[in-house]
Amino acid sequence: MRKSRKYKILRAIMLSIYLIAAIIPIYWIILTSFKVPSELYAYPIIYFPKVLTLSNYSYLFSFAHFSIYFKNSLLLSAISSIISTLLSIFSGYALARYSFKLKGFVIGLLFFSQMIPAYLLMVPQYSMFSNLGLINSLTALGILYVNIAAAFSTIMARGFFVRIPRSLEEAAMIDGCSRIGALFRITVPLAMPGIAAIFSFSFINDWNELFTATLFLNSDDRYTIPVALYSFISKAGIQWGVLSAGLVVALIPTIIIFAFMQKFIISGLTQGALKE
Amino acid sequence: MVRLLERRVLHVRRGAKSAPLFIFWMILPVILIVSIFTFYPTINGIILSFENYSVFNFANIHFVGLKNFKKILVDPLFWTALWNTLWWIVLSVAFQFVLGFGLALLMREPFKGRGIYAGFVFYPWALSGFAIGILWSWLLNGQFGFINDILVKLRIVSQSINFLSDPSWAFFSVILVNVWYGIPFFAIMLLAALQSIPEELYESAQIDGAGTFSRFFHVTVPYVSSTIFATLLLRVIWVMNFPDVIYGMTRGGPGGTTNILATYMINIVYYKNDYSLASAVGVFIITILMVYSVFYLQFTSKHGSGEF
Amino acid sequence: MKKILLLTVFLLVAVFAFSSSKIVLNMVQVFTSPSRTEVLQNIINQFEALHPNVQINLISPPYSTAYQKIYLMLSTNQPLDIVEVGDWSLEGVVELGKLVDLRPYIATWDASNDIVPGLMKAVSVTGGIPYIIPNGVYAKALFYRPDILAKYGITTPPKTMDELYSDCLKITDPKKNQYGFDFRGTGLPTNFIDIIITSYINDIDPNNMYKLTNGQLWFKDPRTLEGLKKYIDFYKYTAPKDSINWGFDEQVNAFVAGTTPFLFQDPDTTGLLKTMLKPDQWMTAPLPVGPSGKVYPSYGFGGWGITTYSKNKDMAWEFIKFFTTPKISAYFCKDYGALPVLKSVYESDPYFSQGVFKAWQYMFEHPETYVFTSYPLNNKKWTEWNEFQQDTMQQVLLGNMTPQEALNKWYDFWKDAFSM
Repeated sequence: MRKSRKYKILRAIMLSIYLIAAIIPIYWIILTSFKVPSELYAYPIIYFPKVLTLSNYSYLFSFAHFSIYFKNSLLLSAISSIISTLLSIFSGYALARYSFKLKGFVIGLLFFSQMIPAYLLMVPQYSMFSNLGLINSLTALGILYVNIAAAFSTIMARGFFVRIPRSLEEAAMIDGCSRIGALFRITVPLAMPGIAAIFSFSFINDWNELFTATLFLNSDDRYTIPVALYSFISKAGIQWGVLSAGLVVALIPTIIIFAFMQKFIISGLTQGALKE
Repeated sequence: MVRLLERRVLHVRRGAKSAPLFIFWMILPVILIVSIFTFYPTINGIILSFENYSVFNFANIHFVGLKNFKKILVDPLFWTALWNTLWWIVLSVAFQFVLGFGLALLMREPFKGRGIYAGFVFYPWALSGFAIGILWSWLLNGQFGFINDILVKLRIVSQSINFLSDPSWAFFSVILVNVWYGIPFFAIMLLAALQSIPEELYESAQIDGAGTFSRFFHVTVPYVSSTIFATLLLRVIWVMNFPDVIYGMTRGGPGGTTNILATYMINIVYYKNDYSLASAVGVFIITILMVYSVFYLQFTSKHGSGEF
Repeated sequence: MKKILLLTVFLLVAVFAFSSSKIVLNMVQVFTSPSRTEVLQNIINQFEALHPNVQINLISPPYSTAYQKIYLMLSTNQPLDIVEVGDWSLEGVVELGKLVDLRPYIATWDASNDIVPGLMKAVSVTGGIPYIIPNGVYAKALFYRPDILAKYGITTPPKTMDELYSDCLKITDPKKNQYGFDFRGTGLPTNFIDIIITSYINDIDPNNMYKLTNGQLWFKDPRTLEGLKKYIDFYKYTAPKDSINWGFDEQVNAFVAGTTPFLFQDPDTTGLLKTMLKPDQWMTAPLPVGPSGKVYPSYGFGGWGITTYSKNKDMAWEFIKFFTTPKISAYFCKDYGALPVLKSVYESDPYFSQGVFKAWQYMFEHPETYVFTSYPLNNKKWTEWNEFQQDTMQQVLLGNMTPQEALNKWYDFWKDAFSM
């Protein structure tokens, strides 16, 4: 489709507006992370600090051992979201392709699981894990994270699989492919934008999950990034400088994931395959 | 035994004999996990709401019937929170959706640096709820807020707006921040869905003489409708249970004007240490969401949103 | 055969003896911050050096959800030996029934005589029984900005509430974004509201902030209406409208920025201010007294308790004793900013009677004027009260409720809570 010049300019303006609205807070976070404490609360507001300091970052990694939390979060989020995405491919596919008696019920159940408020689950879940001796375990937390992501991922995966014509899989199976083979060789690549989106969301959700992590983790060396950042809010106020530095560091992987995943999300792969 | 169960549960109409086995095992992991870690605790949580489990009754927990529910229904704060919740959801989700869809449409065609652009324009979703709450509470501060400073310097307003302490602004502010946060969700999901629309559909529509708007409503929207419906349903459910932003910015104040059911529930836990009472609020939340979902599904199946 | 049996028994005993040689204690703090954690860890390291067979694990949950975590841990008997509890939540934790009555331990403890008089009584909130040993005391004092006030010709801090009010009025000029009083609108302003209101009365019951010496609640006393009105005036005429939403962080922000140079706050604010302001930019003074000639601050405190299901209660007690020795206590308080709990620290360490700490020293030395009063912390509705008072106060400030209506509501609340 040909796009007029007017359209291109309008589009550029709109895209810039979105970008500015998104960027303002992150500019502020980055700025604050380089400020010295005396400038944090200064008024009039200091936009271009005379003194820039890396002390917040060095504090973060030495005094506050941020690298441990970073490692914990990275492993936990990556493994949980890979597992939940994989599981959702299977269940989403099954729900997309087949009709069976309890299908509506199953889908309803998955939606229902999203409706439960965290504070309702707090005491029962904690008791359950405490009885199993699984408090303060990152593995147990990982299982909980898979649980949190599984239902949502399945629902979304189903939505993406539904749109891909069965004919393609059937063609592959006639050629001798097994059903699973067809799933992974034909359907999944075509649904890659959706699957990449699902993975990104699960990863981000796990990366930022605070509530369950604070309750279930006790030892400092098992903490995840959100718990660590939350610790900078104490009775004696909020350590804005270090907190901002922590937020910046925590944002880097997520921005990388987004930028990387967009390659899959915004792919041109789908165009050719659907020509029939 | 398992075979029998499979065949009863999965009354499959087509496909090879091996199909039943296939589906059962594909769905089982997710159902199992969700049942053990969500449904089982939920049932316990609901039972809690009928008891008197609080820190002060710890030695003597017993069944108290509907006492907690009655207590909530006579609390005026509950009704304020309920009313606020309604508006919170409707306004937040509506704006997020429209703006997010807009962003997806704008980003659809490739342009130079789109990848990096995506990384930066989507990052709000990458922040955790509490981080957004305290960050924006600082940005919108009536005295030292960055936003106010800019507004005053640009002469848009003559003096600072008390975004968070002025009852007439507070609600708007929390919704604004929630929208800021939620746009990437819709943008990413819809962008992914938009990618799979075949080019030929547009071409044939154009040949038939359809203009831009017509193409949008007759080709684009129907094709991504299943994604639209799923994301709207999910997002409403999530927003209902999303107190972090509000809690970080106003804690439900000033004077309860930004209190929603979820923050009302948190306050019960923090100040009354009454887990049963809080669970009762949770039951209300679940009930409301279930009723909403039933109506939503009726509505969408009537309007033919595809198999749903 | 007998020999083999004997050998086996001997080996088993030996194995047990060696494997049970390390005692592990789990300890949880409630007022977590990275620097406080470091200080506690240093103290733990010192203790472990003195007791090589003991290992202490410090659990440091984020402050905002610390109590939720502690309640969950205690209610499910998670491995915990030493629990820190703050004053406002003490009753709740005690009600769970998982803290040990410390009287037997205190009876054989020499240093118990060294504790600041009245403090042990203050922490024995439930039925007069001590369930914690205090580790720090907090009390409000007046912080002010001499550099800002000098610009307006104010060279000495106000001694009475009326003086404070007129000083604040004098310097308030919204156009220049200059205000006077650092108002606390949210984040549980109980202390702040009460300090001003009660200063209008001269016969508060020292054991119960909300009662008079004659046993009646004071909410219907006309003097308190005057006090409440003055409190509202502080908000209306000397503080930014935005301060209705100010918690601790915003208060500090405003003080450091100079917007509101008068602030009531606890001693742990000093640590924060030291990093943000130069020494000649801030100072402390005793709280201003009210028209009654008195002011009624309260003791805030935190302390260490021992769990009933701990397998190492005696060793836990050893640690608590170690913590409450002059050297350790002084180190902890200097870094963290709490006031020490031991008399000897005040006597031997000049740090706590000089400079910014002089204000508290003065208040402690003049108990007829600065009457330290207890809150009814043992009341089940205490934490509910904090929220209720905050909400009703905000309604009054927003103009949705009259001061008299608020006082009536408060009267009804406590009448019910005290079962009067």
